[in-house]
Amino acid sequence: MTDPIIRFDNVTYHYPGTEEPALRDIDLEIMPGEYVAILGLNGAGKTTLGLCVNGVVPTMLGGTLEGSVTVGGLDVGEYPVREMAKIVGMVFDNPEFQMSQLSAAEEVALGLENAGIAYEDMVRIIPETLELVGLKGFEERSPLGLSGGQQQRLAIAAVLAMKPQILIMDEPTSNLDPIGKQEVFSIAGKLNKEAGMTVVVIEHEVEVMAKFADRVIVIDHGRIVMNGAPEEILSRVKELGALGLRAPEAAVLADDLRARGLWTGPTPTTTAPAVEQVRTMIGAARG
Amino acid sequence: MAEDTTGPAIRVEGARFVYPTGNVVALDGVDLTIDHGEIVGIIGQNGSGKTTLTKLFNGLLKPTAGRVVVDGIETAGRSVQEMAPHVGYVFQNPNHQLFARTVADELQFGPRNIGVPEEEIEERVANAVEFFGLQDYVEEHPYRVSFPIRKLVGIASIVTMRPPILVLDEPSTGQDHQTTHIINDLMRRLREEGTTVVCVSHDMPLLADVVERVVVMRNTRIIADASPREVFADESLMLQTNLQAPQITEIALETVVPLGGPVALTPHELADDIATRAGGSRPARRSASTRKGA
Amino acid sequence: MTMTTALPIAMIPGDSVIHRINPIAKLVWVVGYIVLAFSTQNIFILASMAVFAFLLGIVAGVLKPLLKAMIILVPIGSSLLALQIIAPAVERPWTLAGSIGPLSLYGDGLYYGFVLLGRVVASLIIALVMVMTTHPSDLFTSLAKLKMPYTLNFMLAMTLQLIPVFQREFGVIMSAQKSRGMKGTGFSAVLPSFVPVFVGAIERVQQLSISLESRGFGSDGHKTSYRQVRVRVRDWIIGGLGAVLIVGLSVYSIIRGTWSLSGEIVFSGAFVTTLFAIAALTFFGFIAFTIIYGFTRK
Repeated sequence: MTDPIIRFDNVTYHYPGTEEPALRDIDLEIMPGEYVAILGLNGAGKTTLGLCVNGVVPTMLGGTLEGSVTVGGLDVGEYPVREMAKIVGMVFDNPEFQMSQLSAAEEVALGLENAGIAYEDMVRIIPETLELVGLKGFEERSPLGLSGGQQQRLAIAAVLAMKPQILIMDEPTSNLDPIGKQEVFSIAGKLNKEAGMTVVVIEHEVEVMAKFADRVIVIDHGRIVMNGAPEEILSRVKELGALGLRAPEAAVLADDLRARGLWTGPTPTTTAPAVEQVRTMIGAARG
Repeated sequence: MAEDTTGPAIRVEGARFVYPTGNVVALDGVDLTIDHGEIVGIIGQNGSGKTTLTKLFNGLLKPTAGRVVVDGIETAGRSVQEMAPHVGYVFQNPNHQLFARTVADELQFGPRNIGVPEEEIEERVANAVEFFGLQDYVEEHPYRVSFPIRKLVGIASIVTMRPPILVLDEPSTGQDHQTTHIINDLMRRLREEGTTVVCVSHDMPLLADVVERVVVMRNTRIIADASPREVFADESLMLQTNLQAPQITEIALETVVPLGGPVALTPHELADDIATRAGGSRPARRSASTRKGA
Repeated sequence: MTMTTALPIAMIPGDSVIHRINPIAKLVWVVGYIVLAFSTQNIFILASMAVFAFLLGIVAGVLKPLLKAMIILVPIGSSLLALQIIAPAVERPWTLAGSIGPLSLYGDGLYYGFVLLGRVVASLIIALVMVMTTHPSDLFTSLAKLKMPYTLNFMLAMTLQLIPVFQREFGVIMSAQKSRGMKGTGFSAVLPSFVPVFVGAIERVQQLSISLESRGFGSDGHKTSYRQVRVRVRDWIIGGLGAVLIVGLSVYSIIRGTWSLSGEIVFSGAFVTTLFAIAALTFFGFIAFTIIYGFTRK
């Protein structure tokens, strides 16, 4: 059996000068090649959890971390973030704040230069990566002159070019239109399926999660309160509601019909199974 | 330039807008009329011109060609400050808007500027604090509260000005379900009070729930203007604008709609229809929407 | 919709001979130009320098933006000339060339005014040509090759980039305040907008540093460079030639006592008076135009 690529061992974390811990007793194992979505209210600790994986917490932000976080076999607290960068790629929610270079190509090059990738390889990797995120032909454009959506895809490209084993995205699509969102998640999905990249996404939109993730983790007040397959977690309409979260609309529909004694069988979380069952229901009624 | 309050809330005629830097055409030949008391959603892909259009409403931008009349006032030649009592504009990023020492000061700033009497300001602020659930933050510095709360403060700081027309630019971006719910309630309340609301958003479920009319923009123009049902049912329109109907509407479109059922906007609505078809006319247990799950 | 704010002076993409010269070779010329311009008082040298720089601009195909940027010379040049004519920055005795009302006009002042103007014009044009034909990244890459510290380089590049960002942020914030009916004008009205700009800047820097570190910025290992700036024989020749020519002329000028021709060249009284009138009118006209334009645009 393979070892988990990310492992949280009884982690409790306090930001500097705070009484309330941001994370409490986190035990978590993520296997290589998993696509994990993290759900929770704002302030529940999702971002903090993500930042632990590449060591920004606690190496850059300070505070006290009890327990241990092991990523790719390395104890995170003992390596600087720039070392962890070889394993973990991070994309944050505000793309503009991640832009530092004068052209899109150089933005993508930055990580490669720091990793000492040869020029001959860079000229191949950079256009490839830009094409992957749909920014082919944008090489010489200024990152700050791009639209929000383009910037977000560039921020992703800048990280993907480094071919990290783990990709963490913290609300990477908040500026994107619905299809733009889908695109980002499918790119991650493609890398996950084809290259076996481990993907961790922090996201609010449950319909998107249900479609792409292998596993959903729900965080509430710094604690992991649910952890399992999306169809298992996202179908728990009432429990999610009690946490201030919502379930996919397909699940809410099934839940509503179940309450009327009309829905039997599992609660769907994505469109296709919901459509199928509804068709059977109304088809049977008509026939 | 006489103020004509009998006209529509917003009238845009043949508006064109070209950004002076780089000569980027952001709007081209836009015509739009919004009546008093309407709740309108503006949707479209990134860069289609949505935000530019709404910035014409309060005079932040003046049309390069065409005219914009808001609350009976033509915006050309009017300053943004002059338009402020007529149009409230909530910016997408609250960091662009907040600067006062406390949340309370922030909420008082707008109404004080437009000359609302002190006692009334106090009442409005108290109201807003309760509605937005800001009780714990009144004396906090706006930058000490979390981003989602800051976003609510940004909206509240405009709502206390009680403008007859309110523009919201992506009010639910980066918000969790709880805060989105507050924004949802806000729009409903404003509708009851007769405020005209224009909401730019990518959040289709939010719009499906509250707006009566959706204006769809694509590539500097308005390409559709109809009810959410009509817009979401038009698959080719959704596709060419990079948009996606709410999941529940998609389910409805593939199941009950071909049989003459409704283009459902909420799970409850669809459940009602399915119940009628599948199990005779079984009544709904609750009449309130359950789609938000809370 | 993101607005694209460009710096008023930025690189004009192109593939001219000038574009292809190595940034460092160009830098040698710019530095040399400035050194020579300030070590000579010979207006013929200064004029030829300005003309030569201007020709380079034409060769580079940046004539239009160059002329646009040179508008700045109108107020500077006219005020310089007008002031020098009435109050020369050279030692007395001054030769009186004429007078307008209570103002005495001096010919030596005009000569020195030309010298100052020549210095500014020559240095400015060559610098503009350099900026407009050099990709900033190429310059920074070249500087890095000359062992300029990476972080310093990075900071320079960042600053260059953040100026338009903060300009834009400030604009957005000002409009947000106006949307809330903010009254008043002047500093007190603008002041509140600094708070969000400042907070925004801090948040930006914090987030950026996390993002950069997450991409391995600052690691000690071997670094590579994506931008390849070639140094060809041609660049060595151009750089070397510039250095030799300019150092030679500078040294000669200094030996000849700045090589000033103020003794040989005598302007007629009518010439000085007319030029003064033109300079003064241009200056005040420019100021008036700016004020009126600024007010009506609002």
